[in-house]
Amino acid sequence: MLLLFIDRSFTVPSFDVQVKLGRGNMEIELEQGWEIIERGITRLKNILEGLPEPKFSSTNYMELYTTVYNMCTQKPHDYSQQLYDRYRESIEDYINSMVLPSLREKHDEFMPRELVKRWENHKVLVRWLSHIFHYLDPEFIPRRSLLPLREVGFICFRNLVYHAFYRDLRVWVLSLIDQEREGEEIDRALLKNVVDIFVEIGMGRMDCYDNDLEAAMLKATAVYYSRKASNWILEDSCPDYLFKVEECLKREKDRVSHSLHSRSEPKLLEKVQNELLSLHENQLLENKDSGLHVLLRDDMVDDLSRMFRLFSRLRYGLETVADLFRQHVTGEGTALVKQAEDAASNKKCLSEPDSVGLQVFVRKVIELHDKYLAYVSDCFQNHTLFHKALKEAFEIFCNKGVSGSSSAELLATFCDNILKKGGSEKLSDEAIEETLEKVVKVLAYISDKDLFAEFYRKKLARRLLFDKSANDDHERSILTKLKQQCGGQFTSKMEGMVTDLTLARENQTSFEEYLGNNANANPGIDLTVTVLTTGFWPSYKSFDLNLPVEMVKCVEVFREFYQTKTKHRKITWIYSLGTCNLIGKFEPKTMELIVTTYQASALLLFNTADRLSYSEIMAQLNLTDDDVVRLLHSLSCAKYKILIKDPNTKTISPTDSFEFNTKFTDKMRRIKIPLPPVDEKKKVIEDVDKDRRYAIDASIVRIMKSRKTLCHQPLVMECVAQLGRMFKPDIKAIKKRIEDLISRDYLERDKDNPNLFRYLA
Amino acid sequence: MEGKSPINKFGRGHRDKVQQFMAITGASEKAAVQALKASDWHLEGAFDVFYSQPQSKIHTDSRQLEELYNKYKDPYLDMIMADGIARLCNDLQVDPQDIVMLVASWHMKAATMCEFSKQEFVGGLQSIGIDSLDKFQERIPFMRSELKDEQKFREIYTFSFGWAKEKGQKSLALDTAIGMWQLLFAEKHWPLVDHWCQFLQAQHNKAISRDTWSQLLEFTRTVDFGLANYDAEGAWPYLIDEFVDYLNENGVGADGFSRTIGA
Repeated sequence: MLLLFIDRSFTVPSFDVQVKLGRGNMEIELEQGWEIIERGITRLKNILEGLPEPKFSSTNYMELYTTVYNMCTQKPHDYSQQLYDRYRESIEDYINSMVLPSLREKHDEFMPRELVKRWENHKVLVRWLSHIFHYLDPEFIPRRSLLPLREVGFICFRNLVYHAFYRDLRVWVLSLIDQEREGEEIDRALLKNVVDIFVEIGMGRMDCYDNDLEAAMLKATAVYYSRKASNWILEDSCPDYLFKVEECLKREKDRVSHSLHSRSEPKLLEKVQNELLSLHENQLLENKDSGLHVLLRDDMVDDLSRMFRLFSRLRYGLETVADLFRQHVTGEGTALVKQAEDAASNKKCLSEPDSVGLQVFVRKVIELHDKYLAYVSDCFQNHTLFHKALKEAFEIFCNKGVSGSSSAELLATFCDNILKKGGSEKLSDEAIEETLEKVVKVLAYISDKDLFAEFYRKKLARRLLFDKSANDDHERSILTKLKQQCGGQFTSKMEGMVTDLTLARENQTSFEEYLGNNANANPGIDLTVTVLTTGFWPSYKSFDLNLPVEMVKCVEVFREFYQTKTKHRKITWIYSLGTCNLIGKFEPKTMELIVTTYQASALLLFNTADRLSYSEIMAQLNLTDDDVVRLLHSLSCAKYKILIKDPNTKTISPTDSFEFNTKFTDKMRRIKIPLPPVDEKKKVIEDVDKDRRYAIDASIVRIMKSRKTLCHQPLVMECVAQLGRMFKPDIKAIKKRIEDLISRDYLERDKDNPNLFRYLA
Repeated sequence: MEGKSPINKFGRGHRDKVQQFMAITGASEKAAVQALKASDWHLEGAFDVFYSQPQSKIHTDSRQLEELYNKYKDPYLDMIMADGIARLCNDLQVDPQDIVMLVASWHMKAATMCEFSKQEFVGGLQSIGIDSLDKFQERIPFMRSELKDEQKFREIYTFSFGWAKEKGQKSLALDTAIGMWQLLFAEKHWPLVDHWCQFLQAQHNKAISRDTWSQLLEFTRTVDFGLANYDAEGAWPYLIDEFVDYLNENGVGADGFSRTIGA
């Protein structure tokens, strides 16, 4: 069966032809046969040249094919080799005589055009001739391990035409590309065709394309964009520059799909972004007027997103961006700290505590966090590098205190203001929830979490005991959030405190029932007792206040009651936290005074004496100087002067005397006389330091118990890792604890290696 | 057969050395000669040779020792107390503060300074072949030489802590510690000893733990004067880290020069 292919310029109907290939006794002579074949070839060439020729019919084909067939199969003279050689020769001949001359006379654009045409023609010629000489392919050629016909044909073109003209072609291709880059219209179809020659001439391999075209193209691309970059970097702002870069990348990608081979795309784009981005990354990002800092400051979301998109293409591009991001956030945060510090020191000159300023500071930190977190999610696609940068930045400045207060304390005070009645923040329930959520997030950045816990606990105690908590749900809600973030151990005591209050209320109810049932147990004064579980609450000093007579019975009665409930618990009274409602019979009018138990005890002394000295009061009450000074100050030197002080100075001194101010009055019937609380800060810090020492000891012992022996460095590192959730232990502190444990015979140093410790069971 | 003593074969210098050797070690003439020959007639080397050999028991008269003990013992206690020790030193013509007494105490494994129990006194002196004042005096140079031995110095140093501290205390009082250090490091020269003592008095003012005491010796042995090889990340006790900071602040450091430390 003979199959003939359909091609463009010459249509040959396909049909089955059974050809009787007569093998007469007549042998075909070489030249004789060749003459027939050559005639046919010449006709084909003429057709390609566009010369007038009658159509080449299938019969013509058959004749030629048959001749070849016979010449190859006849015996004894098999002319296969000669035919093979002459096949090639006729192609070469055609190229030399027709193709090359016509190419040589063409210039500029006409050369490539002509070459494309000639290449197309050549492919046709080779196809036709391969059909004619087809019989050589299946047997002769493989038998002699020769190159197939089609390949021979292409190689002729490659050796004679391609090698002569590819350099000129290349120059033309590159210049066309540059023209298009500059915005000119080019003949994309022609460009594609020329590029295809480079591809096809490789005959299945891409080395012609790669070596003869692509390499130079990549180089030229680099040169082009290098030049562009140098200009743009001077003229353009960072966002404008990046916009241009994005455009260029888009266009180059486009060009590849239209005109080049797809395998060039990644290499080409890599060159472009290398010249435009990699080499100028720092300059762009750090541009004073329009770089990353400015974009962040001015909220240029689109430009930031573009920046992220572009730099994520580079291998290490994002590292630099994230680094600068971190620097920026750290700078902003540190500026906030300084601002707060300055404001606080101004206030100090006026000797007012800057509580409002500090509140504002915390709020600003939260807002800063929101802002930059938004950037990370909106512009930086939540990339881990940026989350990490944000975290590191916050960890740096969030651990700086302001005006002598640590960030842990500031955060605890902030929460207190939100959660207490009459706090400085007036927010809706939703806003409060949201704010608490954010506060807990910021807490993650603070290394002294245990310090925060202690301050928080102290302030929570105040809120709960003096009924200053605005909303129980919010109290519980923040504890849940803290528990989620820091673990159950962090919040267990606080939760205990909140529960205690509920139990205390129930307890009070039973107490009142008890009083109702036992008439003689009644102390004559309304008494409310709140029983606290010691372990949960902060430690309070309980001084042995000499209670006024009136109150002594109250205490007794409650004690008896409590004995009926449980015999296994011991009650310790904390009078410093109590409040009293006193009726003051002043001359102008009777008034109700709401005071602390301490203040009440002092005032009740004047029921039996008109005038008392400082030392008498102190002796009667059995309190410390500090407490006495404070409470007397609140009663005689503050807003409400219940006592008259002699001499009438602004401060209390041990030589003062006091008289009951019978003439005292106020337009209200009922007033509250506040006793300012003692500054707990020092005690909190002391308590936390003590707890830390125990924690470090426990950690070291735990580690050494399981490891048995361990060197110094790894021990310290493990200790830091174990404790890191709550605080950042000082390396010196750890060393001191190790030495202490050595002297207490928990550990010893190894005799030969002083760097190695051993656990002593 | 020669009737003369073999020692007369040697020249005057060698004879003197043999005599000296015998006096110090209590060894026999034969052993002395052997040791000196082995060390090429260098006295110090001979000591090393002699002591590295298994010791033949040096004979002491236990009755004499007991008499010696009784001479100095306290009238009311079965111990030699400070008074007795002072008399002993006087008789030996040795200053009671002399480090030799420390070495002697070490041999005795004395529990506390300024007192010796009978067992400590007798047992200790017996172990170094002393049973009379004369022999004690003769042994003094030897005891001094023991401080030059690296290993022995270390043992004596370690011993000093327990010996110098108060009974029942875990730590050593600062003043006593400073005194001991100055004594010990006068023998084994440590250039920073004065700085160390000044530093402690200025900044520490508390007792010294055993760990700090022992680690200080390590410090003197391993860390250069210029502090170049001091590993701040290492397991040095906290106090020694502070000391290094103190030195750096006061100009003793990498350049190896120490400028005068301000009063």
